[in-house]
Amino acid sequence: MPSNRPRTGPRAVSRRAFLRLSAFAAGGLTPLTSPGARRAWGQAAPAPKKGGTLRVGFYVEAATMDPHLSGSKVDRQVYHNIYEPLVTLDNKLGLRPGLAESWQQPDAKTIIFKLRQGVKFHDGTDFNAEAAKFNFNRMKTEPKSVRKGELASVESVDVVDAYTIRLNLRRPDAALLATLTDRAGMMVSPKVIQEKGAELERNARGAGTGPFQFVEWVKDAHLVLRRNEAYWSKSGGPYLDQIRYRPIPDDTVKLQSLQTGEIDVMDYVQPRDVAAVKADRNVVVVDVPSLADFAYQLNHTKPPFNVKALRQAVAYSVDLEQIVKGVWLNVGVPANGPIPPTSWAYDSGIPFIKRDLARAKAKLAEGGKPGGFSFTVTTNNIPLNIQEAEVLQAQLAEAGITMKVKLVDSATLLADGNSKSFEMISYQWSGRPDPDGNTYQFYKTSPGVSLNWSGISNPQIDAILDKSRETPRQADRKKLFSELTRLLQEELPMLFIVHPIEPKAFSPRVQGYDPVPDGMMRFREVWLK
Amino acid sequence: MWQLVLHRMAATIPVLFLVSAGVFMLIHLTPGDPIDVMMAESVDAGVKETLRRELGLDRPLALQYAHWMGRILQGDFGRSIRNREPVIENVGRRIRPSLQLAALAMVISLVVAFPIGILSAARRNSPLDGAGSLFSLFGICMPNFLLALLLIFFFGVTLRWLPISGYSDPFEEPLAGLRSLALPAVTLGLALAAVIMRTLRSSMLEALAEDYVRTARAKGVSEWRVIGGHVLRNALIPVVTVMGLQLGTLIGGAVITEYVFALPGVGRLVVDAVFARDYPLVQGVVLLIAVGFIASNLIVDLLYGWIDPRIRIR
Repeated sequence: MPSNRPRTGPRAVSRRAFLRLSAFAAGGLTPLTSPGARRAWGQAAPAPKKGGTLRVGFYVEAATMDPHLSGSKVDRQVYHNIYEPLVTLDNKLGLRPGLAESWQQPDAKTIIFKLRQGVKFHDGTDFNAEAAKFNFNRMKTEPKSVRKGELASVESVDVVDAYTIRLNLRRPDAALLATLTDRAGMMVSPKVIQEKGAELERNARGAGTGPFQFVEWVKDAHLVLRRNEAYWSKSGGPYLDQIRYRPIPDDTVKLQSLQTGEIDVMDYVQPRDVAAVKADRNVVVVDVPSLADFAYQLNHTKPPFNVKALRQAVAYSVDLEQIVKGVWLNVGVPANGPIPPTSWAYDSGIPFIKRDLARAKAKLAEGGKPGGFSFTVTTNNIPLNIQEAEVLQAQLAEAGITMKVKLVDSATLLADGNSKSFEMISYQWSGRPDPDGNTYQFYKTSPGVSLNWSGISNPQIDAILDKSRETPRQADRKKLFSELTRLLQEELPMLFIVHPIEPKAFSPRVQGYDPVPDGMMRFREVWLK
Repeated sequence: MWQLVLHRMAATIPVLFLVSAGVFMLIHLTPGDPIDVMMAESVDAGVKETLRRELGLDRPLALQYAHWMGRILQGDFGRSIRNREPVIENVGRRIRPSLQLAALAMVISLVVAFPIGILSAARRNSPLDGAGSLFSLFGICMPNFLLALLLIFFFGVTLRWLPISGYSDPFEEPLAGLRSLALPAVTLGLALAAVIMRTLRSSMLEALAEDYVRTARAKGVSEWRVIGGHVLRNALIPVVTVMGLQLGTLIGGAVITEYVFALPGVGRLVVDAVFARDYPLVQGVVLLIAVGFIASNLIVDLLYGWIDPRIRIR
C-alpha cells in the first residue's frame, strides 16, 4: 500500500553495511543482530527468564482485531502475537511450519497441509481441519472480507482427515504459500466468530492460537495481551507476562518515551533520529532490512509519459545515489526495480539506472522534446517526501526538465492514483515476502481499479508475470524476475528510488528479538532482562 | 433569565443547520474516499464496492445528506467508518481528556494571569509591568508544539519529574492522572494566561481612569480595596468574553498539544478522522464541537449578568 509515512531509516548505515545485513537476511548466516547483540563476544548467552510487561509504542492505533476484515498494516503487528498463520517466515524469508506442520504439492494446482495436532484456540476449542476449512470459507465468502483477492487462486478447501486439508487451486500459484504467512493464513476460532460476530472487531478474547492472548483494548489508550499458558509449543517462549501496546503519534515524543524508559520498544525510527539514537546507551537499534519498494508511478495513459523516451529521459536525469545519501541518509539502497535486496529473487547483477545527462538529452530529442518539457509530481505532504521532491526537481532541471510539485494528504494521493489523474505520483509499497506481491498487481494489464496506477500494458511483461506464478521451482522463478526487472527498467512504469531499512529501537532490557524483514514484531521468544 | 436561555437555544438551530450543511459539503468535496484509505493495500474492487454500497456512499450527495440529517434528528449520529463504532461512543471516550485538559489549563491560566495582570495594571510602567509584558509576549509568540517539546525535554527527559506522554484519568488514578495532564495543561495554560493577562491589564487600566475610582480614593478607601472591589469587578467583562471563546477552542482545537503528548482528545479524533475521510465521524464531531462552542458562549452571556447587574436581563 502507499504507506502513510516513510518508514525507514537509521543513521549512516553505509551501503555496504546494508548489503551485508541483506546478505544475512537473504543468504543466511547467524540470525540478525538482536537487541542482546551488544553483549561481548564469547560471553555465554544468558538463559531467558519468564515475566515482565513489554510496553510497545506505535504510531497509530489498530483498526480491527478481525484479521479477515483488516486492511491496515498496524493491525498485523498485533495479530502476529495473538494469531498464527499456517506457514511462517524465518529471518531470511524462508518458509517454516506454522499451524501447518508440513505441506506438499502433488501437482501445481493442489496443496495438502498436514496440520499441527494438540493446538487449542484461547477459548479452549480445538484447532483442526474443520476449523481451517471454516476460516478459508469465511475469508472467501464473507462480504466484507479483505482477504478475497489474496485467496483468489483458491477454488475450494477439502477436509481430508481431522488434521489434513487440501487446497484445490483454480490456477497454479507459486506465491500462495508466502501469502499464507500473514493474515490470509491466520486461523481464528470458529466458535468465537459465530458467537461474537461483529464484536470480534473490538474484542479478540479467545480468538487465536498464538503465544499471547487478548485481554483488553481500551481504544486510544492501550491494548493488552497476556501469555498463553496453554501454548502448544513447550520449548522456548512465550516468556513475557504481558504485552501492552500504546499509540504515540509524535515521533520525537515516542523516541523520548523510549529513552526515559516509559516504553520498551518502538516500531520504527525516523532517518533523522537514527544517529542520535545509536549514540544513546539506553537504546538499542536494530536495522531491519524491509521488503518495501519506494518509487514513483509514471502515467502511461496520457502525455507526457505515454512516450517511452520521455520516461527514460527522466530516469537518466535522476541521480539515485545522491537521493539515497542526501534524503534517506543512507538508510536503504538505490533500487534497481521492485524486488528488495532481502528477497531471494533480488538480482544483484542488475545495476540501478545511473545518471547520464547526455543520454537523457538524446532521449528528450527522441521523444520530440529536445528543449525539455514540464510535468507535475503528486506526492505526500511529509518532510521526507518534500525533500525528495526538491532534490528530484533540481536534478531534472539540469536536463532541462521542469518538475512541478503537488503536495497532498494520503487520502487524496490514493484518490488521484486510483483515478489515474496524475502524471507522476509517489508510491510507497510496504512489500510482500514473495516477489509476486511486489510485482504482479502493479504491472499486469488490469482494466479498472487496481494498483497498476501507471496503466502499463505490455504483453511480454504480462507473460512473465503469469509464468512466474505457474513455475514451481524457485531458481526458475528467480530468472523470470531478473528478466522482469530488466524489462521494467526499459519500460519504466515506475521510477524506482529506494529499498529502505526499517529500524526498530529497544530498551537494553529487551532480549531475543528476531527481526524478520516483513517488519512484524513477533514477541514469542522475547524476554526481559 | 430562562427566557434568555430559551431564546438563545432557539437561535442555535439555524446555526447548527448551517454548520451541518457546511461540514457535510466540505468533507465530501475533499478528494479521497474512506474506503480507499481503509483498503489501501487491497486490489479487490468488488469488496470496496460492497462496502460503499453498504455505507450508502454510492448515492447522490443530497440524498446522503438528507438521510444523515434525518437520523441526527432522531438522535443517531451514525457509526465511524474506520472502527465501526457509534460516533457518540467515539466522542464520549475522547471528550473526558479534552474537558479535563481544558479545565486544568483554565485553572493554570487564571492562577498565573490574575496576579500578574492586576499587579501590572496597579503598578503601570514599573519594572514589574515590564516583566509582565515580557511574559505575555513570550506566551503569545511561543508556538504550542515548541513549548510542549521544551517542557518535555526539561521535565520529562532531563529532570524526569513527569511522564512524557500518555493519559490516565484523574478521576480513577488521581496522582497519575494529574501527572499525565500537567505538562499539556501548562503548555495550553501559559498561552492562555498571556492572552487573559493582557486583556485584564488593559481593561483594568480603563477602569482605573473612571470617576468612581477617584471617588473611592477620595473617600479614603485603601488602594487594594479600590483595585479588588471596584476596578477588578468592572474590568472582568472582557476577560470573561475572552475566556469563553478560548474554552471553546481548547476543547476542539488543542490538536497539536494532544498529538505531542499522545492525549486521546477530541481534537486528535477529528484530525485523524479527516485524514481517514471518516465522513460520519468528522460530521458528528464537528457538529458536537459547534454545540460546545454555543454552550460556552451562552454561559458567558449568563456570567455577564452575574458580574454586572446593569446588563441583567429582566
